Amino acid sequence: MSPMIRGLSCVVLLGSAALGGCASQPNSEQALQQAGTDFQKVKEDANVLRFAPKDVIRAGESLARADRLSSYWGSGADVVHYAYLSQRYSAIAREHTEQGLNAERGTKLELERQRLQLALRENKLASVQQQGKWLEEQIASLTTTQTDRGLVMTLGDVLFDTGEAQLENSANRTVLKIVQFLQLNPKRVVRIEGYTDNTGGEQENLKLSRDRAQSVADVLMDLGIDEKRIQVEGYGDQYPVEANASERGRAQNRRVEIVFSDEKGQLGAAR
Amino acid sequence: MTIRPLFAALAVVALAGCAADPAPNEQIRLTQQALEQASAVGASADDSPELKLAEDKFARAKADMADESYKHARMRAEQAELDARLAEAKILTQKSQEQLSVLNTRITRLRKQLQLGEAQ
Repeated sequence: MSPMIRGLSCVVLLGSAALGGCASQPNSEQALQQAGTDFQKVKEDANVLRFAPKDVIRAGESLARADRLSSYWGSGADVVHYAYLSQRYSAIAREHTEQGLNAERGTKLELERQRLQLALRENKLASVQQQGKWLEEQIASLTTTQTDRGLVMTLGDVLFDTGEAQLENSANRTVLKIVQFLQLNPKRVVRIEGYTDNTGGEQENLKLSRDRAQSVADVLMDLGIDEKRIQVEGYGDQYPVEANASERGRAQNRRVEIVFSDEKGQLGAAR
Repeated sequence: MTIRPLFAALAVVALAGCAADPAPNEQIRLTQQALEQASAVGASADDSPELKLAEDKFARAKADMADESYKHARMRAEQAELDARLAEAKILTQKSQEQLSVLNTRITRLRKQLQLGEAQ
């Protein structure tokens, strides 16, 4: 092939390319330009390249195709078509990037949420523990005594009618506090011990003391304390705290004592 | 020999206009799939102009197939596919955005509770 002819064919090719350019509808030029601008934007975005490299490549390929076709005569519709595809790929790339970024943001926020949730839980726990301590103090002040049997709380006879095992309503506040205390200290267990004065028969007193202890236990169970955490004993007129000689002394001996275990659930041995 | 490049150039120009395209069955299938995928993530033609475009173009592509106007069918189906993919991507972006707002709301609420806790 002589250089002259080769030059000529080049001229012809260029001519046809120029013709193609002229012949293509003005909107194909515009479409090509628009697609080029869109592609440029996604191509320069580091995040897009990170999250949607395939879409960027496809946008580039379609754009190159549109660009190549734009140099041919009568290919306006194809140019518009591939420019359109390129623009769509660029738009899809942007959406995929946004999704990727949102996923990253979501991961960070989720960690933050978990951290806050943990902090809040610890906060609440601390406040409940404080409350638990407060209740413990309250209960300690409610005629409890730290004895060799452990923490012992005494419900006096005003809470029972003479000869009756039914707990009076006036005991509610005290019982509620015990329940609250037991709910806050789920490992603690109690032994409820009933006592009477020395009036009446021995068997009768044993039964009455046991019934009184049981009625306290029943209320605790009704308020949601697990049966397994409650032991019930009746001691009749044994272990008086005062001499039964006076009415005052006998009143003090008619009682129910609640023995609390330590925090691990270890209860002192029964009498 | 010497004249071949000229013919080649002419042939390209001529072909660009009237090349006989084969039936774009594969593209039709792809487009169908893209449309189904977009619907599956919850896109609807009422809310998504892209999906509306996709459905319209796909209907025309199928009509073109019936007319054996394969080039038009292919182009319309190709555009419809990407319209549908864009519709799908937009819905997914929107969903990820909504998830972020939910998380943000929860975090705000947690912060508020923590502040309340500290104030007590």
